[in-house]
Amino acid sequence: MTDQGRGYAYGVIGVSALVVAGVLAGRPAVDEPDAAASRRPVGVETPVVAAPVPAARVIVDRWRTFTERDGLPSSKVFTVRAGDGRVWVGTDRGASYWENDRWHTVDTSDGLAHRVVLAIDVDPRTGDVWLGTLAGLSRWSAGRIDSFDQFNSGLVNDVVYGVAVEGARVWAATAAGVSRYDVTARHWEIFTEQNAPMHEPWTYGVHAADGLVYIAAWGGGVLEYDLATDQWRDYRDPDEEMEIDLFPDDGLVHDVTTGVAYGSGVLWVGTYFGLSRYDGLRWSGYFDHDSGLPSNFINAVRVRGTQVWICTDAGLAEFDGEVWVSYARRDDGRGSVTVRREADAPARTTPSAIAHNYVLGVDFAGDTVWVATADGVSRGHASGATTVAHFTTSTGNE
Amino acid sequence: MRGVPRMSGRAMSVMALVGIVGVAAGHRGLSHHARKMSGTEVASINCIPCHVLPRVSGPLASLWNAEYASPLRLAVVPDGTLLVTAEEGGALFVVDPERRAVLDQIAVGGQPHSVITDARGRTAYVTDRWGNRVSVIDLATRTRVSTIPVGAQPGGMSLDASERTLFVANSGTNDISVVDLPSGRAVQRLPAGSHPYSVRGSPIDETIVVLNRLTSPVEHRAPPVTEVTLVDAATRRVVRRVRLDAAHMAEGLAVTPDGATALLTIARPKNLLPATQIARGWMITYGVALLDMTSGRVVQLLLDDVNQSYADPYDVVLSPDGRRAFVSHAGADVVSVIDVPALRALAAAIPDDSLARYANDLSASRQYVVARIPTGPNPMGLAVSADGGTLYVAERVADQIRMIDVATGRDRGVIPLGSPQRESFVRRGERLFNSAGHTAQGQFSCRSCHPEGHTDALNYDLEPDGLGRNIVNNISLRELSTTAPYKWTGKNVSLYRQCGFRFAKWLTRTAPYSQRDLQALVAYIMSLEHMPNPYATADGPLAVAAERGRTIFERAATNDGRTIDERDRCVTCHPPPLFTDGRMADVGTGADTDTQHEFDTPVLTNLAGSGPYLHDGRANSLEELWTRFNPDDRHGVANDLTKAQLNDLVVYLMTLGGARD
Repeated sequence: MTDQGRGYAYGVIGVSALVVAGVLAGRPAVDEPDAAASRRPVGVETPVVAAPVPAARVIVDRWRTFTERDGLPSSKVFTVRAGDGRVWVGTDRGASYWENDRWHTVDTSDGLAHRVVLAIDVDPRTGDVWLGTLAGLSRWSAGRIDSFDQFNSGLVNDVVYGVAVEGARVWAATAAGVSRYDVTARHWEIFTEQNAPMHEPWTYGVHAADGLVYIAAWGGGVLEYDLATDQWRDYRDPDEEMEIDLFPDDGLVHDVTTGVAYGSGVLWVGTYFGLSRYDGLRWSGYFDHDSGLPSNFINAVRVRGTQVWICTDAGLAEFDGEVWVSYARRDDGRGSVTVRREADAPARTTPSAIAHNYVLGVDFAGDTVWVATADGVSRGHASGATTVAHFTTSTGNE
Repeated sequence: MRGVPRMSGRAMSVMALVGIVGVAAGHRGLSHHARKMSGTEVASINCIPCHVLPRVSGPLASLWNAEYASPLRLAVVPDGTLLVTAEEGGALFVVDPERRAVLDQIAVGGQPHSVITDARGRTAYVTDRWGNRVSVIDLATRTRVSTIPVGAQPGGMSLDASERTLFVANSGTNDISVVDLPSGRAVQRLPAGSHPYSVRGSPIDETIVVLNRLTSPVEHRAPPVTEVTLVDAATRRVVRRVRLDAAHMAEGLAVTPDGATALLTIARPKNLLPATQIARGWMITYGVALLDMTSGRVVQLLLDDVNQSYADPYDVVLSPDGRRAFVSHAGADVVSVIDVPALRALAAAIPDDSLARYANDLSASRQYVVARIPTGPNPMGLAVSADGGTLYVAERVADQIRMIDVATGRDRGVIPLGSPQRESFVRRGERLFNSAGHTAQGQFSCRSCHPEGHTDALNYDLEPDGLGRNIVNNISLRELSTTAPYKWTGKNVSLYRQCGFRFAKWLTRTAPYSQRDLQALVAYIMSLEHMPNPYATADGPLAVAAERGRTIFERAATNDGRTIDERDRCVTCHPPPLFTDGRMADVGTGADTDTQHEFDTPVLTNLAGSGPYLHDGRANSLEELWTRFNPDDRHGVANDLTKAQLNDLVVYLMTLGGARD
């Protein structure tokens, strides 16, 4: 948003602030857990600060980037997922997996539904890989690809932005609702505004964990599906259409949600206007002006243990509830790492960096971090030399 | 005679005349009925095949029907006993080959398929295709100690090296159940190809070979492609999928003792060519595929001779030293003996660019087939004795196990399984159905295209009317008895006509069945039943969705309230119980290559297991019937349906017929 536009928006917000405040005055206190929240299996006891700070926080300081020159079908990498011994990336010219120190590409000639692969998840029970594309959902199974679209299957829409495997079922977040496919029963179900509190059926992300499935609906907030009760609930921005978070920590920071992740009893939601955290009791909002978030424009979020990793248009960040670590690529190709708790901290320089600051996805294979960017996928790991407590600049590169 | 009115001579004459006229009229009427219903001019058709024979049981029915064991697959226990699955007997037979006696029958359910044992011969596992389970048998006590639910229509099995994990091929759900034996639970399902059927473990490593019987879905008018699925037992993962190009009906599987090669029995159908090829002896050819377990290379070689087919290769076993392979030809009543070193040497010598040529070479078999051993009717499962000296052959419709000396190929006699000596009328039809003896050069049996009376999932260019004209999807023969007319074109008003003289002239290209054989064959076909539908459930999400789908199937108005003409409602042309009105209909699916655009309205029961769909099989999924092939609502008004409604309709169709027992 331009400065002029932002000023206009702030003006509109200022005028309507009293009206909004009046509307909000009738709401229950935000720290009162509602009935639906009480069904969440974990989280209500989780403190706002999720995890103690490790004595020596290890920083990822060695990166290697893979692009077309390294065998990828394209350097535009939309997503990355590690699982079952492989690392998969989705690009605008097919999907590729890293195995035996090289990339193996599958594309439409192999049966992939479309060359643009936006989302990937791996079935931990079978090792099968589910790929969301611009023209359907594909399953890679030991080299064979089966593709499902709205013509040959019960998939609700061909534009698949998000995929999540939950037991024997596969969830697909599409441009016109969510599909759930029971692989064993060969049964397709559809969730739209017709049968779910889906203000906006344009769904962007899906994540399944701990008996819950979360849907990031672009313009519709977050939906939560409880597998035990088959009940939906929704989380919306109390400020509704506003582009700023009018009242801090009153709920989701914005309804334009792009990514969702759940772990250790905490729900993390990425939006184009900041990051939200919900522990079942309280909401917290994080923004680039008051945290280590590189940008409010968030493309994806991913949980590892008690950490959340945030993919933005200005770099990658990880947050453990206490310390922010932000990774960016400098114009000279070197890396910039910023570690902060509360106040701004100076950036440190590393010789290697993530491939590009427009980060679209992140995943983990053991201690290795894989980062999907607009110009390649990066593999990073910690040398062990760089820590929060004794931060030093790494000199190594792969 | 006092007290008894005496009938006058005139009255008796009148009565006799009336009786003669009555009998004559009755006979004439019945003959007319038989001719009309059968669509033939043959007057000798009696009532029994259509009206009372096939499906009845009880004391009266025992006069014409009988219960048979129907041995299917075999396993040899280390102590020398032989285990036999009795497909129709619902039991596992324990046989002593020395005494040629059945020691025991262990009830295991509706339709036993395969049997394997652990290495020490203490426990046997038996799949039941009707009951969707594995029976665990304690061989010491000869009792079933537990059952383990698996996927639908389970067939072959294999244990991993530790014998703690069992891999089961589920033909009905196209997947592989991974059973954790200590807990007695199926813990995983791995996706297989289409109709996974046989399973063998490698003798040297943890590779499990799963042979799929039918072609995977392919583009319309493309050759079949059947999959071999390789599973790593250690990781419980599918690690490789191998294509058998232009082959299907892959049922028999063996792995050489060195673990280097898997031998697979195959059929190579020429379904894309007009059936005129039958006259040239080249409609379906039969052979084996050699799968290199390391590289995945496949070499297909035929077992046929020039001008003589050996139809329906069903099982393959190896001698203990791996130098001889034995293949049962279920339709030819023969076991082929293969010189395995010669076969492997030839396969290794064939360059990759010549594989297709060798796969069609009818003269190649002389290089590796060293003997043809005649058997009784319908040889299916095979096993070699523990000492390697005897080959056991399950002669299915003869209800006996034949023993053959491996070294000499000499017949050592049979072990009867105690079934009735009498061949019932239906059993006679079953024997004929499974025999290729009634086709030119023995090219195929009814079973070749209709395994177990079902469908091989292919589309055929049957009519001799030019290449690519009037393509027809092969349909199931199960539960056909009341669904006349037959053929997609509805030309045949009865199975008598379908399988009679025209059939011989047009398809089998040899002498037609005798009237008695034709009636027996029809009686058998009319007795065929569907297996339990794995998608028919009494409750759960499928049932809820199916109920919503039923209302769509029966609806009389569109979503916006417009009345749907009765002719354009699903249920009008597809009324229960079989969901066909038996009439012809043009639903806009005729192609330019079709001579007529009206087709027989198909039965919809057990639909999920009978794809592809439409008269020419152009739809690989049920959804495509409406998303691609009903643009003008001629196949029922459906274009107003939401995607969710269409999904419900599909679920409803999947659940029709054959509820799970």
